[in-house]
Amino acid sequence: MLGALVALPVMWAAAGWRLRSARRVLDWVCAGVCAQSALCLLVVALGGPDGAPPAVAGWLFLDALSTYHLMVLMAVYLLSSFGARGFFAHEIEVGTFALPLARLFAALWMASLAAMTLVLLSNNLGLMWVGMEATTLLTAFLIYVHRTPRALEAMWKYLLICSVGIAFAFMGTLLVAAAATKGLGMVGEALLWTRLREGAANLDATTMKAAFIFLLVGYGTKAGLAPLHNWLPDAHSQAPAPVSAIFSGFMLNASLYCLMRYVPLVEGSTGHSGWALDLLRLIGVVSILVAAAFILFQHDLKRLLAYHSVEHLGVIAVGLGLGGLGTFAALFHTLNHSLCKTLGFLCAGRLGQIYGTHDMTAMTGTVRRARLWGWGLLLSFLALIGAAPFAIFMSELLMLKAAIDARALAVLVLFLLGTATVFVGALRHAIAMAWGSHDGPASARTATAVDGVVVSACVAILVLLGLWMPQPLLRTIEAAARIIGGHE
Amino acid sequence: MNPLTDMLLVFLILTTFKLLASGRLRACVRAVAAQGVALGLLTLAMHQGALSLHIVTLACGSMALKGLVFPWVLSRALREAKVQREVEPYVSYTLSILSGLVALSVSLWIGSRLHLPPESFSKLVFPSALFTVLAGLFVIVARRTAVMQVLGFLVLENGIYTFGVGRVGDMPFLVELGVLLDLFVAVFVMGITIYHINREFDHIDTDRLDSLKG
Repeated sequence: MLGALVALPVMWAAAGWRLRSARRVLDWVCAGVCAQSALCLLVVALGGPDGAPPAVAGWLFLDALSTYHLMVLMAVYLLSSFGARGFFAHEIEVGTFALPLARLFAALWMASLAAMTLVLLSNNLGLMWVGMEATTLLTAFLIYVHRTPRALEAMWKYLLICSVGIAFAFMGTLLVAAAATKGLGMVGEALLWTRLREGAANLDATTMKAAFIFLLVGYGTKAGLAPLHNWLPDAHSQAPAPVSAIFSGFMLNASLYCLMRYVPLVEGSTGHSGWALDLLRLIGVVSILVAAAFILFQHDLKRLLAYHSVEHLGVIAVGLGLGGLGTFAALFHTLNHSLCKTLGFLCAGRLGQIYGTHDMTAMTGTVRRARLWGWGLLLSFLALIGAAPFAIFMSELLMLKAAIDARALAVLVLFLLGTATVFVGALRHAIAMAWGSHDGPASARTATAVDGVVVSACVAILVLLGLWMPQPLLRTIEAAARIIGGHE
Repeated sequence: MNPLTDMLLVFLILTTFKLLASGRLRACVRAVAAQGVALGLLTLAMHQGALSLHIVTLACGSMALKGLVFPWVLSRALREAKVQREVEPYVSYTLSILSGLVALSVSLWIGSRLHLPPESFSKLVFPSALFTVLAGLFVIVARRTAVMQVLGFLVLENGIYTFGVGRVGDMPFLVELGVLLDLFVAVFVMGITIYHINREFDHIDTDRLDSLKG
C-alpha cells in the first residue's frame, strides 16, 4: 500500500507520455495528482490514528509526523497542479510551451511528487537521503522550463549548491550509522529510524552531535535556511510560478522534515540537554533577520516571495528549537506557510504574465487590472506578514507564547524585530502593488472557474484555520509534535 | 593495516593533488577517473572475510561509473565546449598546492587527535578522506569553469565515500545502490547543464553567470 503511493505518480507519468497535445498532458497531470491524493486519503483512513503499519521489510512507514506532512504535500500539489494548468494555458497560446516541453514537465513534475513522497514514507534514513537528493536532480530542469539565460544560471547554482549541501547530509547519515553500529550493535538495519529511536539513549553522544552538525548544514542548505540560502532566491524567481510554488510550498519543508526526524535521536542520545534545539533556534533566528533585511530592499516580486520563504522556514526552525508548544506551533506553521506561499506564487505568476515583468515598481494597480490575481496576491501578502485573522497570525502567536514559556527572551526579541521589519517592508510593497495608479487597461484575459476555486480555496482555508482548528487536524499535529519531542 | 590499502589511500591523495595543481581539463578528468577506480579497489581491499556478492557488485558498479561513465560524460561536455584548460583560476596553482598541503597537515593532525574506533583499518583512512573532502570544496570555489566544479563535486563525494568505505555493510545494499544512482543522475544532469550553458553563453565560465543577485 505504501509502496503504491511512491509508484503511482511514476507509472502515471509513464502512461501519459504518449499524449499528443500540451493541454491534454496538463489535464493528465491534474488527474494524476487527484488520484494520488485519493490514494493518500485512503491509506491514511485505513491506517487509523497510529498511521499505517510498516511495509516493504520495515523500510516504509507512516506515523503521525509523516501523515501530517503527506497531507500538506498533497494540498500543495493539488493546488499547484491546477494552478499550473491555468498558468501554462497562457504559455501554450503564446507558443512558448510546446508538446515536448510539456511532456518533460509532466514527467519531472510527477517524478518529483514520487521522490517527495518517498522522503516522507522512509523509515530508513539512508533511503530518505536518496529521496531528498532525487528531488534536487528531478526539479533542476523544472527551473529551466523557460529557456532563458537567467534560468540557466539559476539552475546551475541550484544544482551545484544543493548537491554539495546534500553530500554533507550524507556524511551525517554515515556518522549516524556508525553511532548505531557502535552503540546498538545493529548491523544491516542500522539506519531504521524506529529502531534508532527506541535505542536513542544508547547512541554515542559525541558522534551524534558531529552527525547533527553535518545534517544541519546539508538539509539546511536544501531547506534554504540562512546563511545557506544563496541558491533559493535565484531558483524561486527564475522557475515558472507553479514550480516555485512546490519549491517553496513543499520542497523546503521536505528537507526540514528530514531534520525533524533527527531531532529526537540527537536529543535522546545527549540526554535531552537541548543541544540540537539550541542550534535550530540559532539558525532560525539568523534566517528571519537575514530575510527581513533583504525583504526591505527588494524590487522583484518573486524574489520577495522567495525571501519570505527563508523567513518562514526560519520561523519553523525557531519553533522546533523552542520545543514543547513551539514544536506544535512549528508544525501548524508549516501548513499555513505552504498554503499561503502556493497562493502567492500562483498569483504572482499570472500577474507576471499580464504585466510582462516581475518588477514591483511596474506592477501597480493589480486589483483593478486583474481582480482575482490582484486580490489573491494582496491576501497572500497579508497572511504572510502575519495579519489577523489568517492562520499564520495564530501560529506565530503560539510561537511567541512558547518563547515566553521557555524564557527565551533573546529569541523573543529578535523574532519580533524580524517579523515586524517584514510586516512593514512587505506591506509597503503590497499596498503599492494593489492600489497604485496604473494606466493599462483591465486585463482581457478572464480568470476561469478553476482559477477562482484555487484562489478562494487557499484563502478560505487560511481564514478558517485562523479562526477554528478541526479536531482531527489538532490531534494529528499533537501526535506529530510528540514524535519530534521524543515523548512517545 | 595492510600495505595495499595504504598504497591506494596515498594514490587517492596524489590524484587529489593533481586536480589542485593542474588546469588542463582533460588531464584532470583522467585523474578523477583513476581516483574512482582506486576507490573501487579500496572497497575490495578493505573488506575483511569472504567477498560477498553485495561488496563485489558495489565495487564494480562504482568503478564502472566513476572510471568510465563520468569521464565519458565530462569529455563530451569538453569536446562540445571546445575548452582545453582553466584560464586564470581565482587561486593560482602554486597557491592551490600550498593550500592542499596545509589541508593535508590539518587532516593528519585531526586524525591523530581523534580516537577512532578500532575497526578503522588504517590510520590513513580518516585523514585522507577529510583531506579529499576539503580539497573538493576548495576546487569548487577556486575554479571558474563548470567542468572543474563538477570535478570538485566528484572529489568531495569520493572523500565522503572513503569515510564510509570501512563501513560497507552498515548500509543496506539497496541504499548504497540508490546513492550510486543519485550520483550518476547528478553528473548526468550537470553534464547536460554544461552543454546548455555552453550553447547559451558560448563559454562555461561560471563567474560570468552573475546576472542574478540581491
